[in-house]
Amino acid sequence: MSYFRTRIEAIGGAVLGTSRAALELWLVYVGTIAGIVRGFSRRHGGRGRPKGELVRQLHAIGNRSLVFIIVTLGFIGMVMTYQACLQLGRVTGDYSQVGSQFLRLLISDFGPTLSGMMLATRVGAGIAAEIGSMKVTEQIDALRMSGVLPIDYLIVPRFIACVVMTLMLTVLGSMVMYAAGGLTAQYSFGVNPSTFYDLSFVRGRHLVLFVVKALAYGAAIPVVAGFCGLRARGSSEGVGWATTAAVIGSSFAVIVLDFIISAVALFLADGDL
Amino acid sequence: MTATIRIVGVHKRYGARRVLEDVSLEVGQGKRLGLIGPAASGKSVLCKLVCGLEAPDRGTVEVLGQPIVGKREVELGDLRRRIGMLFQNYALFDFLTVEQNVAFPLEQRGGMTAEEIAVRVAERLRAVGLAGSEHKLTGELSGGMKKRVGIARATVADAELVIYDEPSAGLDPVTTQKIYDLLAADQVRTGASVLAVSSDVVALAKFVDEIAFLYRGQIVYRGPAATIADAESALVRQFVRGELEGPLDQGPAKTADDGPTRSPESRR
Amino acid sequence: MIGEKTIANIGGGAVSIAQHVGGIVVLTGQVLRALIPPRIDGRELVKNLHKMGNRSVPIVALTALFAGGLMMLQSGPFVKKLGATGLAGWAAGYAVLREIGPILIALMFSGRVGANNTAELSTMTVTEQLDGLRALAIDPVKFLVVPRVIAMMVMLVALTVIGDLVALVGATVVGSALLEIDASTMYHSFADNLKPYDFLHGISKSVAFGAAIAMSSCYFGVTVRGGAVGVGRAVNAAVVAAAVSIMLLDFFITYLAG
Repeated sequence: MSYFRTRIEAIGGAVLGTSRAALELWLVYVGTIAGIVRGFSRRHGGRGRPKGELVRQLHAIGNRSLVFIIVTLGFIGMVMTYQACLQLGRVTGDYSQVGSQFLRLLISDFGPTLSGMMLATRVGAGIAAEIGSMKVTEQIDALRMSGVLPIDYLIVPRFIACVVMTLMLTVLGSMVMYAAGGLTAQYSFGVNPSTFYDLSFVRGRHLVLFVVKALAYGAAIPVVAGFCGLRARGSSEGVGWATTAAVIGSSFAVIVLDFIISAVALFLADGDL
Repeated sequence: MTATIRIVGVHKRYGARRVLEDVSLEVGQGKRLGLIGPAASGKSVLCKLVCGLEAPDRGTVEVLGQPIVGKREVELGDLRRRIGMLFQNYALFDFLTVEQNVAFPLEQRGGMTAEEIAVRVAERLRAVGLAGSEHKLTGELSGGMKKRVGIARATVADAELVIYDEPSAGLDPVTTQKIYDLLAADQVRTGASVLAVSSDVVALAKFVDEIAFLYRGQIVYRGPAATIADAESALVRQFVRGELEGPLDQGPAKTADDGPTRSPESRR
Repeated sequence: MIGEKTIANIGGGAVSIAQHVGGIVVLTGQVLRALIPPRIDGRELVKNLHKMGNRSVPIVALTALFAGGLMMLQSGPFVKKLGATGLAGWAAGYAVLREIGPILIALMFSGRVGANNTAELSTMTVTEQLDGLRALAIDPVKFLVVPRVIAMMVMLVALTVIGDLVALVGATVVGSALLEIDASTMYHSFADNLKPYDFLHGISKSVAFGAAIAMSSCYFGVTVRGGAVGVGRAVNAAVVAAAVSIMLLDFFITYLAG
């Protein structure tokens, strides 16, 4: 009997802890938006943030993820096309639709989501590591002592930079995936490039999905990672934990958001994707 | 005369560990209070409570006439800019140079031009003996230098209340004396109130007016600093003199949330 | 002027990547050598198996559930429109077993276990515990790294098997809840169309991914430098390296194995 009790207590504790964490996470998100609005209204003179911080973040998040995104998405594009062609070969032998369907899936799902997962790993870890090590060396407390809000100073620039850069990198990554897919189809299955690069199936709603997802992921990653960073405690071990939690949290957030957005889109489009 | 710090009946625990139990403390305006105690007795936590960086589970904290408990971050900003704090582990911003670190509180407070700030920062760096190091990054500094930058940053804005958490830990005796002379000169000049935490009781006693002894989460003694070695309490006497025999519980140190792990026996 | 700096950066980047790859290869060699003869600390092995396996099941299961559902969301409507509901399970299941399952679970594993492992090892390095072990004439590679590598590889495979099943369940749930394709149709289309080879194809990838994640994670853990900031950077590097390796390995295995 007590065995069950301990198990139930553990689950109950976990649920409570998760709910509390979810609430705090939501507060961080609200705080970030509030921070952005505050920045625009210039009530605090906008002197909270150091000059050029936004540019620095754009560079750190964007430029430094460029090669990573190109390489990873290029390879996955090749693999996906390969697998798809392989199976189509088994079933119908008709490759004429591969390119257009690949493009549709790419735009409405895989492009943003795979870019999102990769960025969740790279950017999420980076942000959490930076903010986490600041937290354990008490720099966050020192910021607060000068009347600075950590969310305004640290998270807002990263948030803006991440949303912008995620969109741009997703576009770039998707283009790379598409090109890589075309090359694979051409060289491994003899699919004519003009057959493959067929945009006729792309609808406006696919592009809308693309942008919505990219923006959603770009917003979720810095909030989750910043949240994990701010909660780091202890010393170097705490930083490690924070970074780990950030990677899992942002990756998971990307998957969940993908699912929700796709499901909603399915409903809105009456099952016609 | 309003007290600069008034703490009444404060309790604080982390999980199962009770760090502060029914602590009450007052620091008068323009006075200097020293805080001593064994490692992990809650000294740093008390400093953070004064700044509002942490909130007590129970009790009230009033600083510069304003209650702190329950206020949101945004509301505390103005009050915090009137407080200067030296963190135990320096907490210097590792993405800024020495000069930018010291200028930071002034820039955030606003109201001074860039030239005025530069002049003030240069003066502070000269006072702590770091005149040539403006453009160094914190990674290039030794521990003692970092501490001095921390002191410069804590005193740059002429705060009404200054808190020093271990101003002399890890410094040699001569430098320690220089630092305390500097802190004393600053306090005389600005008339600020001072709360200083230190494990070096001898040097501290020459700097502060009174000393409070925090032991196992409670203030067990408070008296004039000059006579601390002959205090009535045997507990305090043993701690200050570094004797091994006596009522002081020298059990295993709790996990460090506070204080360098120098045992009371070693005073150097 | 811009061109010069960019080239210098690229060159520098290439050099450091080469350095890391070299270092990982060296560590791999040390691990392999420590396995012959296999004298592994049993207690460390069991401890790591438990830590990396049992505690990852929830997150992997959840991820797999969503991933399976996602695949169904993507392929289901298409299949339905063609009226080929018998193929519904094939479309989602095939992608899951061969690609999405192994990759997503590996990525999650890299985040949950790989990053955690790097954090632990780098904290131990930074606090000089590894030096302490060497002073006691214990080889850190044999004692710490090898059990973790084995545990990670074994556990990733186990988790992928579980994850694959959960993902298929997720696909089924989405199929019946949102697309009106009932569960038995799904089950039959899985059974009819998914071959054991598809499953093995995915599992062999998991073995490779596990090795990549393990080596990357341990390497960056033991070569860390610089305190709390260094730990953060090490975890960051480990996760990124693992992600790139996963993608590269996926590519090679897909092409080699067909």
